[in-house]
Amino acid sequence: MAKTILAVDDSASIRQMVSFTLKGAGYEVIEAVDGQDALDKANNHKVNLVLTDINMPRMDGLQLLGSLRKLTSYKTIPILMLTTESGDATKEKGKAAGATGWLVKPFDPKRLLEVIGKVIG
Amino acid sequence: MAGKRSGSSKKDSQVTEDSISQDIHAICNVEADEYFMNIKGELSQVDRLVSDAVNNLVINFKYISKLTRAHHDMVIAIERMAATKENRSILELLEKQMAIADKIEQELENAVTSLQFGDLVTQLLAHTTRQVETLNMVLQRIDRRSDWKGKEISLQGIHEGISKAVNVANSKGKRKPVVQQGMQMGEIELF
Repeated sequence: MAKTILAVDDSASIRQMVSFTLKGAGYEVIEAVDGQDALDKANNHKVNLVLTDINMPRMDGLQLLGSLRKLTSYKTIPILMLTTESGDATKEKGKAAGATGWLVKPFDPKRLLEVIGKVIG
Repeated sequence: MAGKRSGSSKKDSQVTEDSISQDIHAICNVEADEYFMNIKGELSQVDRLVSDAVNNLVINFKYISKLTRAHHDMVIAIERMAATKENRSILELLEKQMAIADKIEQELENAVTSLQFGDLVTQLLAHTTRQVETLNMVLQRIDRRSDWKGKEISLQGIHEGISKAVNVANSKGKRKPVVQQGMQMGEIELF
């Protein structure tokens, strides 16, 4: 059975690029437009991995990370941050909040799939 | 009487000067505000143009990728049919076709990376817009607080006012969210 990835980004083009890459590799993809939308969808679907941006309206990626880690079903689910931010301070915040990894945009499809493969097998 | 009249006329002229000075400041503020609004408008126009361009490119990209997949599948199907007849020249041609299809797929993967420029531009524009807004706000605030009345506005004074505004805008401005200078792939770190 295909594994499901929740892809969160407020940029439609990034969501499409992420979906294109992941679907091409056989994953099922659920798209969310911001942290709040992702949290709603995470509550209603069984997800194997979350791939989220940071700078988003309504709820940003770090807030989403914190909220997901509070849910029993998301305590151990890998959560990767895919962002334009690469500052150490923000990265440390993400690490402390329970992020599994940090990917700086622009992403390379092959490397993204390698990392996801490593994280969820 | 004449003295009184002269005193009242001095006061009158002072009031008129003050109100003219206030009017000039108000007009300057409105003009500055309009100027900054125009910059914001232009930035948002750039954002719209980039978004439209990226959306169109993504549509083209998806269409090309669909065609490539169909072409790939067709080559495989023909290859299977030709293999049963052992037609060497057709098989060679198909091998070449397959190599071309693989190259197109590789280029499509590179396009996935390149197409992310829209997101970087949008974030940089949002950051610049915030900076412009803050600078306008701070300049207006400094102008309102300053007591220009009766003072000769020296270049030094104007320079100090502008420097103060830029410093405040810099310190209040949020961190720049994009650090990449180009479309090089970003780093990856697993915790």
